[in-house]
Amino acid sequence: MIVKMGIRECALKSNAFRALYTVYTHRDDTARRWKSEGRKVIGELGCDVPDELIMAGGMLPVRVYADPEKPLVETDKYLEYAFDPVVRAQFEKIVDGTYAELFDALAISNSTDVVIRIFLYLREMHRVEPHKAIPPVEFIDWLFTRNRLHQVRNEHTIALFRKAVEGWAGREITDEEIRAAAKVCNDDRQALREMEKLRSGSEVRISGSEALVIIGSAFFMEREEHARLVREVTRDASEWPVLTGPRVFVTGSDQESTELYDLIEQTGAVVVGEDHNWGDRFFDRDFPMEYTPVRGIVDTYMLREFSSKKAFVSQRVEAIGRWVSRTNAEAVVFYTNRYEEAASWDYPKQKESLEGRGIRTACFAKMQYPVSANEGLSEQIAAFTSAVREVS
Amino acid sequence: MAEERKAPATKSGVVKKLQATAAASAYQKQWFAGLLERVKNGEDFGYLNADVPMEILRAMDIPFVVNQWWAAICGAKRMTRKYFGLLRDAGYRDDLCSYCATAFAESLDPDDHNYDEAGKPMGPWGGLPDPTLAITRLTCDCQSKIFELFAMNHGASFYAMENTVPRKVPLNWFEMAPDHWEDLYDKDRLDTAVEELKELIRFLEMKTGKMFDINQLERVMNLINEQESWYKKIRDLIAECHPVPVTVVDTINAVMQAQWQRGTEWAVGHAKGLYEEIKALADKGEAAVPNEKYRLMWIGRGLWHDFAFYQRFEQKYGAVFMWSMYLAMGADAYIRNHVEDDPLRALAARYIGMEDFLHMPPWNNQWFLQQARQNDIDGVVYMIPENCMQAVEGSYFIIKTLEDAGIPVLSFHADPVDPRKWSAETMTGLVEEFIENRVMPVREAKEKEEK
Repeated sequence: MIVKMGIRECALKSNAFRALYTVYTHRDDTARRWKSEGRKVIGELGCDVPDELIMAGGMLPVRVYADPEKPLVETDKYLEYAFDPVVRAQFEKIVDGTYAELFDALAISNSTDVVIRIFLYLREMHRVEPHKAIPPVEFIDWLFTRNRLHQVRNEHTIALFRKAVEGWAGREITDEEIRAAAKVCNDDRQALREMEKLRSGSEVRISGSEALVIIGSAFFMEREEHARLVREVTRDASEWPVLTGPRVFVTGSDQESTELYDLIEQTGAVVVGEDHNWGDRFFDRDFPMEYTPVRGIVDTYMLREFSSKKAFVSQRVEAIGRWVSRTNAEAVVFYTNRYEEAASWDYPKQKESLEGRGIRTACFAKMQYPVSANEGLSEQIAAFTSAVREVS
Repeated sequence: MAEERKAPATKSGVVKKLQATAAASAYQKQWFAGLLERVKNGEDFGYLNADVPMEILRAMDIPFVVNQWWAAICGAKRMTRKYFGLLRDAGYRDDLCSYCATAFAESLDPDDHNYDEAGKPMGPWGGLPDPTLAITRLTCDCQSKIFELFAMNHGASFYAMENTVPRKVPLNWFEMAPDHWEDLYDKDRLDTAVEELKELIRFLEMKTGKMFDINQLERVMNLINEQESWYKKIRDLIAECHPVPVTVVDTINAVMQAQWQRGTEWAVGHAKGLYEEIKALADKGEAAVPNEKYRLMWIGRGLWHDFAFYQRFEQKYGAVFMWSMYLAMGADAYIRNHVEDDPLRALAARYIGMEDFLHMPPWNNQWFLQQARQNDIDGVVYMIPENCMQAVEGSYFIIKTLEDAGIPVLSFHADPVDPRKWSAETMTGLVEEFIENRVMPVREAKEKEEK
């Protein structure tokens, strides 16, 4: 097992952590096993595809992820360069046949405008180039602005998606099956929240990189098993050494790997939380079991903490305040990839608000993908960590 | 014709020939002066993104300015460089969303309402007065953020309308839109859009104290149908003319400016006058470019900071930019007949499609192809915006659709309002090369075939 720098020896001694790490680093293995057993796998692009429905249909939900090493042969042909680089790399695997082998279908949620465009392009490719090996696509047209009309509309949208999932499953999905899946998802979220206490509580025993592995492995495996392993890791981690560096919160682009966190934590800081979709936001809100299935799903995905894409500046300012309080962060790193612009409009007001509370901030905008493509980044991060350490 | 060709060039070197173009510009200034007066007198004033159903505000007699029109004014007044410097100074990036963020950047300018030593206003047209309402649609991730920031700086109430994605996409939307709009969309999508309109109306009623009257909306919708019908006649007329009597230099400004006044008697009168003026030229057999040889289509937003660009290929090649979306969208995208049945639903059927017609495959590429054929286009010059996700529109599919139909396409990246990365010389060279190497051979082959 080749291990990243941000993962400590103590973590690797944990059987449960090693199991999660294997899933995190071999992301397609579980899906391949499911396929070989004749079971169905559904890809998810965008962070708001309700896992509960897919699991209720007896299928495995698997998150689409980018391969930074893969040349973008197909992507360069179809996508404008204004698409953010992670989505460009994800698109390559969707259209070059990689995911056609692995997925029975692809569910896309409109979690960001870029992903909406990907849906439109894939739909058009199905129409004009039907020979391309692209999985069938279904779109979930969430409305994220919070009012009654949009909640009602979302219930309709999710009812439509439920029909699509039933089509993939080849059978009707009962309310009981959805509730059972929701219970599993809630249990996993609860397990992650227990883990979070060791990451952002008064004593930090789980590093940011380790947390990303623990959380992100959920996207590629059975959720019951994930919850079991997370609880086991949490038990093991209570014995891990305490981390004492400056407490940093990360906001901005999704971090599909531990690369950025490794860099930050190498400098002696510790990443105690994040608001992106490969971290804490994943387990932010439970499915309310007392609601009907469709309403429960709408509540869970529509009303969890704001994403950087689908929220107003004022909402994002308040949200980052809540995150910083929840994680007791001393500093915030804003990190956005080139062409991933939306969060850039939030930054000045968020910075102003945070600095008013004495929270230090550093902004890394227009970043190249992957993280390692940015020359001098580790030195800049080290300088920031030193500055935070001096103040604290 | 010779007389018209001697029309004086503007500061930018653009030669405009139509009286209607000048009349539209003159009216805009007069209208803006009236707006300033109304705002001064304490009236509510709305600032809207272009895809907001402004018909509601028109029907309620709430004055408004459209973001993209104002950005074009700022661009034409060469304010962009200054404004984006102000954005940078305030901690914002200066390389994003230039079209949509211009007015927000302007709101950072302390001199917007000041006068220089010579007594000239420092802001465009004396600067934008403080709106009390800032309304946008969520047609891209950045839109709401920029509008909310703009609203904060002006002390305006911010309101956002959602956007939905069509499941149903009939390819011939431009044929269905006027009379079969109910079938053009998913029913539930249209239902939601009507509800969105009702919520907007309630918001406006509460904010302004004015009542929304459905009869006024019906009147506004009918006026718009009349106005846009004139654009349809103009578009069809120009398409038929060989050579064309006018170019995009005249039609873009004449139509765009009047489009933001849609739903008024003035706009109908202007559209009618525009038709009559162009018809008279056509009847006399006059040519915008006497040696017209190649008919070019411009896909993209207007190149507001270098309008003279469109005329650089006329003398040397007889290449005339005769098509832009501004006139053709008026002709094909706005008309909604049978308004009387349900004016709100007819309006919903207009505004929810507007972005999709332009930016969503297959609706945009199928329309561009149909338009290229109707207008006997020899080549397409396609400007892909530098930094705008909203305008990311499936350029691959647009180019493929047109090229597969034998219509050559030159695509390039540029910004409609920000001149900082624009090189007129380089771009002129690119288009010249395109005309020589792609357009001319295709035209020659077509002519041989026709013989």
